[in-house]
Amino acid sequence: MSTPTPFDQVRGQLGELLPRLRRFARVITRNVHDADDLVQVAVEKALARAAQWRPESRLDNWVFGIMKNAWIDEIRSRRRRDRVHAPEEAGLAVGDSSADMRDIALSVQAAMARLPEDQRLAVALVLVEGLSYKEASEALDIPIGTLTSRLARGREALQAMLDDTGGPE
Amino acid sequence: MRFSNELLMAFADGELDLVERAEIEAAMAVDPEVALAVERHRRLAARIQEAYQDVLEEPVPAKLAALVSPPAAAPVVRLADHRSARAETAARPSARLPYWAAMAASVTIGLLVGLFLLREPAPPWEESGAGLIAKGDLDYALTTELAGGDGVDDVRVGISFRDRAGAYCRAFHLQQDAPLAGLACRAGSEWRLQVIAAAAKQEGELRPAAAMPMAVLHAIDAAIDGNPLDAAAESAARDAGWQAPPELAE
Repeated sequence: MSTPTPFDQVRGQLGELLPRLRRFARVITRNVHDADDLVQVAVEKALARAAQWRPESRLDNWVFGIMKNAWIDEIRSRRRRDRVHAPEEAGLAVGDSSADMRDIALSVQAAMARLPEDQRLAVALVLVEGLSYKEASEALDIPIGTLTSRLARGREALQAMLDDTGGPE
Repeated sequence: MRFSNELLMAFADGELDLVERAEIEAAMAVDPEVALAVERHRRLAARIQEAYQDVLEEPVPAKLAALVSPPAAAPVVRLADHRSARAETAARPSARLPYWAAMAASVTIGLLVGLFLLREPAPPWEESGAGLIAKGDLDYALTTELAGGDGVDDVRVGISFRDRAGAYCRAFHLQQDAPLAGLACRAGSEWRLQVIAAAAKQEGELRPAAAMPMAVLHAIDAAIDGNPLDAAAESAARDAGWQAPPELAE
C-alpha cells in the first residue's frame, strides 16, 4: 500500500531534473517564457504518463523526448493560429534582430536561434545536455545516422556564424 | 584529409570505438590538419555547453517546483469513489489514493457543492443520477474548445485523451476567485465530472498549461489509455462530437 507508485517515482526525480529541463527548453524555444511554459507542459505530461516510464530507462532522456514533441506541437499550432489571426508576437525569435549583427560575431545563443529546428534539437541534446548519439536519436525518435548528419550540419552552421573573422562563405 | 567531417566530429564527441580512435589519434600526431579539425569540434562543443551553463544556476520558478512537490492537503473529492461508495454501501478504500478515500467517505458531494455554491453563485455543473454533469460555459467549452485555445469566459481546457473504455476525457480549469481544476469524461451527450480540486491561483495571464492540481493529475494518470490526443486528433474528435470511434480489435 505504501510502495511508491510510478507517479511518485517520476515526480520525485522530476524535481531534481528541473534545472536541466529548463536549460534544454531554453535552447530549443530560444525564449525564457516559452521555455518555462514548455517545461510545465512537459512535466504535466510526464506525470500524466508516469505509468509508461520504464524505471530501468533514464527519466531525463524520456522527458527530453516529451519536450521535443510538445514543442513541435506548439510550433505547428502557432503556425496554424498565425494563418488565421494576425501574429501577436512577431518577435518571438530572440536575438534574430538587427542587420548590424551580421558584421560582428554572433553570440552563441543568437547563432543557435538561427539554426533550423531539427539541427538545434540535435545540438541541444548532444552538446548542451551531453547525451550520446544513441540516446539523442532515441529521444528524438530518429535513426542515428539522421542524428549525426543533423548534428554535423548544425555544427558547421554554428562554426560559420561564430567565426570572428567571418571567413569566406 | 582521409577522414570525413562526421567521423572527426564523432571522435571529438567520444563516440568512436577503440580502433577508430587509435587511427585518428595516430593521424592527429602527424597531420596538423586533422588535429586542427578535431580541435575546432572540441572548442565549439565547449563553447555551446558553456553558453547555457548559467541556466542551471538560476532558481527554479515556484510554479514549476510546485508541480513536482508532494500533494498538499487540498480539498479534493474523487467523485467516482463517492459514487461507488454510495452504490456499494460498503466502504471501498482506493488502493491508489488511500488518503482520498477517507475524505470521500466523510465529505458528501452535496456538502461540497454547497460550499462552492456559497463562493460561486452558479457552478457550471449540476447533480444528476450519474453524478455531476457539466453545464453552461463548462459544457460549452469542453464541447467546442481545443486545448490551449482562448477558452470560454473563465474556462480553459487542457489535455484531452481517451480513457481505457475509449471515452474522451478532458482536463479543465475554472479561473475564478477560488480557482478549480478537474477532469470530465464524455458519456453520451454529457460531460461527467470525474474529479474537481482546488487549483493554484494563476498570476497574470493564463497560459494553456496552467498548473493542474495533483489530484487531477492522479485522476488522469489512472484513466488515460496511451498518450494524450495531439492537436489533429483532438480537433477530429471535437468535429465528431466527442463520440468514441468504434474500437479496433485489441
